Amino acid sequence: MGGLFFAPMLALIGVLIAWYRRDPRRFLDGPAHDAPLRLMRWATGLLSAERAEWGQAMLGELGYIEGRVRRMRFALGCVGAALVLPPWGRAAAGLWTLVALGAGGVGLYAALIVQYGLGAGAWIGVSILAVFVAGSLLGAGALVRRPGTALPGLVGGLVIALVFLTLTGFTFFDQILPDTSGWHHLVQTIVVPFLVGAAATVWTRDLIAGKRVARLAAITASLGLFVYATLAVTVIGSSGPLEEDGGFTLQGTISDRVGNNMVQLGYTLLLFAVVGWGGAAAAGRLLRRTPPAVPPAADPVPPQGA
Amino acid sequence: MQRNRPPSPQTVNVLRALAADPARWRYGYDLVTEVGLKSGSLYPILVRLADRGLLDTSWEPGVGSRPRRHLYRLSEAGREFVAALTAARVERTHLKLNSRWNEA
Repeated sequence: MGGLFFAPMLALIGVLIAWYRRDPRRFLDGPAHDAPLRLMRWATGLLSAERAEWGQAMLGELGYIEGRVRRMRFALGCVGAALVLPPWGRAAAGLWTLVALGAGGVGLYAALIVQYGLGAGAWIGVSILAVFVAGSLLGAGALVRRPGTALPGLVGGLVIALVFLTLTGFTFFDQILPDTSGWHHLVQTIVVPFLVGAAATVWTRDLIAGKRVARLAAITASLGLFVYATLAVTVIGSSGPLEEDGGFTLQGTISDRVGNNMVQLGYTLLLFAVVGWGGAAAAGRLLRRTPPAVPPAADPVPPQGA
Repeated sequence: MQRNRPPSPQTVNVLRALAADPARWRYGYDLVTEVGLKSGSLYPILVRLADRGLLDTSWEPGVGSRPRRHLYRLSEAGREFVAALTAARVERTHLKLNSRWNEA
């Protein structure tokens, strides 16, 4: 089991090293391309086409602000504005779906605390969960606004979650104590997210878009699975199968079960995102190697004697 | 559908700053420092004002390697809106003073 936690950490470190090696100048700030400017460029890219002029306005203004702190403060404000500035179009529906999932998960956890009187420790747990979910939704908000990302990301997440539940079982008892084997874990956490990431790159014909879809799919799937597992605890309470490391009291059992769900949320989000990113990157490499399906241009140099 | 909610205090402050010299074009960062708003609050306000036709916008060409810069000033409708806001405020003050005078 320890390997299951260790492997994604190693994979994440590998991704970060690969990212750094791709462009070593990325972390060296120059006066023309410092962190506030890069941050602003990223944020203004989130704006809809009809707000693009305002993105240029913010970028233009930054070009005349001196001082690192003032530039960063201005850029952070503009990032906040760009993240929420309407219109969102169809992306709003995608984000509201995820917000409903996140709020549902946090709400169910809070309801369990109240129902079973789980105490102060559980409130700290739900606070940590709320911050984690809010961060995930912030990331998802940035992703769904990118063109061509929202629908494939949500569908990809649904596929990952459905395969996961098919292998663990759909019943609430299966959520408490899934009867799965090694190859189930391999398919659930590696094969399917990898294929979703790869399919996203192939579908969009764009490596960057594929990686975005993979990340959004990871957030969607992990939040969906968390809500379902927490719903299971809400419905069956402390009944059902006994875990090997379960609590000895009613509160202990409930607390242990929601704690397991929280660990699964963090673990699956990280693993799905990293593996999906890898799948998108691998498909991107294959796409680059594959010659375009257009007929070769006529040779401009006529053959000898022609 | 256009909603006609009263402007927020921050929006009123931006409008007043622009109305101080309505003919002058202003930069975004100047408004940030003058009104004391964060850029994240100012730009959504400017976007809403421009959407409602209360703001004229223009571009100033870039200087050297620096990018072009966006400029803002009140439109004719914006000036009328600020005048109406000021008149409404004066009327409210008079009403308050009158009611206090009658109570006393």
